[in-house]
Amino acid sequence: MGLKKHHPPSSSPSSSQRPVRRDPERNFKGFIAQLDDPNPAVRRWGARDLAAFPEAAPILCRHLAKETDPTVREAVFSSLLRIGTEEAVTGLLPFLRSEDAGLRNGAIEVLQQLPDQTARHIEALLQDQDSDVRIFAIDILQTLAHPDTLGWLEEVLNHEEHVNVLATAVDRLAELTLTPGIKEALARLKQRFANEPYLTFAIDAVLARASVEDSQ
Amino acid sequence: MPERTVMIVDDAVTVRMFHRQILEQAGFAAEEAVNGIEALEKALGRHFDLFLVDINMPKMDGYRLVAEMRQNDDLAAVPVIMISTEAHAKDRDKAYLVGANYYLVKPVKPEVLAQCALLMGGRP
Repeated sequence: MGLKKHHPPSSSPSSSQRPVRRDPERNFKGFIAQLDDPNPAVRRWGARDLAAFPEAAPILCRHLAKETDPTVREAVFSSLLRIGTEEAVTGLLPFLRSEDAGLRNGAIEVLQQLPDQTARHIEALLQDQDSDVRIFAIDILQTLAHPDTLGWLEEVLNHEEHVNVLATAVDRLAELTLTPGIKEALARLKQRFANEPYLTFAIDAVLARASVEDSQ
Repeated sequence: MPERTVMIVDDAVTVRMFHRQILEQAGFAAEEAVNGIEALEKALGRHFDLFLVDINMPKMDGYRLVAEMRQNDDLAAVPVIMISTEAHAKDRDKAYLVGANYYLVKPVKPEVLAQCALLMGGRP
């Protein structure tokens, strides 16, 4: 019986350690091609692998517009978040106008997590002609960790006319520590919309919570 | 007659508080959820007479929630009022397409919401 040749693990990985070959061409061009595959799993792999390529941001955003599989969409959003460049943010902004609630909300969730890049666009979004876009801009502010958030919301309270945009802004303030300027703006807003039951209710609720916070 | 129950699904805390106040005054016992996933989790194994569902919410939006409900044996027959800031006809059409029973545009007048809830969810 001859001696068995011993191979150290590093030179001969076991089948469980061996990388799975997911596609014939594992490079930028190959990952882009995977986005057009009829199999959602392959598109998902392509989208995930493209996270390593910042230049893929506009391609991923274009793909989002036609992608219908929710798991692939999730992978694209995740990759755009990892890329996190200005190009990724500007590519996501048009989805705030999408009629697809899943795309809108996915874009909002990524933008919320890219405060520095997204902050540059907030003022323009808050002055958009479409009231829905202004509402989504305030939705972005909900968890956008940025020092200007309270200032932006105060501007909305003082200058916005659309009741649902104002309602969204007031609701966001329910979770923030109010400045004296915001409290005064809320009081003025309550007078301005005295006949709007939800808005007066929400303003009272936000001011009552602030009062409790102040007394502690 | 046992108390009627309503699930209020909205990511806005003051909206949930406002709708809860109106519906409790109308005789409903209210449960709240901040998105579609939480609503489905809270509804598991429980009886609800009505769902009041916002559209734009993180994690699972209102359209997806209602579509999921209509595929679920326990929730398929529960009346759903969708309520949103979006007043376009296409949004209303989409709500009915996924299985909503009625569509209201925010901000809703308290008496309108109470009347709709009683009509859809039954008088307590």
